[in-house]
Amino acid sequence: MDTAAIEFLAAALRIAAPLLFAALGGILSERAGIFAVGLEGMMLAGAFAGVIGTHVLDTVGGGLAMSMLGGAALGSIVAVATVRFRADQMVTGLAVNILAVGLTSFLLRGLFGRGEAPVIRVPILAPVPIPLLSDIPVLGPLLFRQPPLTYLGLALTVPLFFFLMHTRAGLTLRAIGENPEAAFAVGADPLRVRMIAVIAGSALAGLGGAVLPLQQVGTFTDAMTNGRGYIALAAIIVGRWMPFGALVGCLLFGAADAFQLRVQGLRLPVSSYVIQMMPYVVALTLLASLGRTARLPAAIGIPFIRDRH
Amino acid sequence: MSEAMDAVIDRTVDGIAASRPLVLALVAVGLAFGITSILVVASGKNPFVAYWSLVTGALGSTDRIAVGLNKATPYLLAGVGVALAFRARIINIGGEGQIAVGGLSASWIALNVATAPALVHVPLGLLAAAAGGAVWAALAALIRLRRGVHEVLATLLLNFVGVLLVSEALHGEMGEVGAGFPQSPLFPTSAWLPKLVPRTDLHVGIVLAVATVIIGHVLLWRTSFGFRLRLVGASRSAAAYAGVSLPRSFLAVMLLSGALAGLAGGVEVLGVHYRLIEGFSQGFGFNAVAIALLASVSPMAVLPAGLFFGFLETGALAMQRAVGVPSPLIFVIQGLTMVFVLSAAGLAAGARRV
Repeated sequence: MDTAAIEFLAAALRIAAPLLFAALGGILSERAGIFAVGLEGMMLAGAFAGVIGTHVLDTVGGGLAMSMLGGAALGSIVAVATVRFRADQMVTGLAVNILAVGLTSFLLRGLFGRGEAPVIRVPILAPVPIPLLSDIPVLGPLLFRQPPLTYLGLALTVPLFFFLMHTRAGLTLRAIGENPEAAFAVGADPLRVRMIAVIAGSALAGLGGAVLPLQQVGTFTDAMTNGRGYIALAAIIVGRWMPFGALVGCLLFGAADAFQLRVQGLRLPVSSYVIQMMPYVVALTLLASLGRTARLPAAIGIPFIRDRH
Repeated sequence: MSEAMDAVIDRTVDGIAASRPLVLALVAVGLAFGITSILVVASGKNPFVAYWSLVTGALGSTDRIAVGLNKATPYLLAGVGVALAFRARIINIGGEGQIAVGGLSASWIALNVATAPALVHVPLGLLAAAAGGAVWAALAALIRLRRGVHEVLATLLLNFVGVLLVSEALHGEMGEVGAGFPQSPLFPTSAWLPKLVPRTDLHVGIVLAVATVIIGHVLLWRTSFGFRLRLVGASRSAAAYAGVSLPRSFLAVMLLSGALAGLAGGVEVLGVHYRLIEGFSQGFGFNAVAIALLASVSPMAVLPAGLFFGFLETGALAMQRAVGVPSPLIFVIQGLTMVFVLSAAGLAAGARRV
């Protein structure tokens, strides 16, 4: 394989990394029966908190912890509203997305910029070649010369799969997404599990958001997630609510985006705006070609009501 | 202790279920303002001063009011469409894309049918806008009906494509050469939406919007189409049993919703900017959803909700200038208001079910 192809695939992986965290988080939420439309806002909150945390605490570790807290904070709003108050899950997700745009833009100006939007620079996490493995031809430069958060995202896929499919807690979570009444009858607490799943998932999405500024851009800009949360949502469906499937979905969207960037660099007679449509058109086409074979968790979107009397 | 808590929660839920939507909306807005005042304090400003400058900025002079009404116009138009779709439990989040494509279509007519008299030119532009928005919504509806992709995802993804279409046009043949910003040349005056009050910014769009609100109300409550929408919304199985075609209702209300959003885009470019500008549709579609919710999906109540959002926006810009409180604060207010309204609606629905 020539270096250009390896570079292209490496770029696809790099772009897929933030999507992957969000998609894995979204799987937790959706498998428990709560739509994850708020991924976009959770990523944005995570991106913001990650930059502020890194800046204020002066360590990347602090920034990453803050990004998870930021995502989880927004996730708590979704969890309480949809699980406890049975609010419409789709529109609540949209509402927190709007909330996240407002909150991050406001806090950036109000707390750090005296009314103007400041540029807060943070160091970008550099690729960390893994000794020996990075010398393997083709696979080495592709998989083992990546920045740390990309490794983390890839590595997380395995335990998440194991948790969902091979542990008792994972089984309970999935059962609640399919049939909460039955799960309740055998002693599980659907409300509690759903709350935890949504909040844990949103912490992951927050971490995914932080990948953008901390590993790619180096600063926070208004609404910088720019629809990536929605793409992650599509990746979950493409991957049929399975961690490895979602990984494939994220890689596909990453490849579409990498291709888009590459074509723009070639200065072809095609307009750059048409090319920018690629990831969205690819997402729509993939979803449409899956059609009705994509089966949602059966109880998704339906609030669980414990009898009051 | 826990039983006492449960009793309090039960009473609250019953109270919410019994409350009128207007009361709930006002409480939701009040709560949202209350919580956001913490943010204002955190940024070192006095919330009372900030909110007072917001009110005077929105309503302080006839000029301000005119700007607020112009702002509210596209929200009202698109909001009615979203509310009608919501009634059938169809979520059209594609307002932004539909508005973008509507504005693009109107601009094409404005620039390319340059010799028409205003009496023809303006209606033709608005018609093209509605058609553009309807086509964009129909695309999402067909993806939903034929391929089973949820309309939330289909409309969301098409938003990005629609907005990029505008950019594409402006960086291509519709762009103004040497403008330094992606925008079209100024439209000929025959394509300008006439002013409602001379020597102000207020254009006739607001009349169109108010008329749309009334028509939407009549459509929902006084026609068989509206009855079918309500039936589909109340119970899809009951609607199917009664012989209502779900796909046909779905397509019809999406076409209508998209046409109204497209019209909103047309009114915005022909009435406010007199040219197509990159990003002119930003946030409009989500605002329309927020407004429809605040109006508890009743077209008539879209009127106060839409006006509120319009004035909130002009007020927030004034607040930013006068007191230095960043205007993105209003998105926080909008987002929180939505969460509160949705939670109250969820509680009320649950209380009725139990």
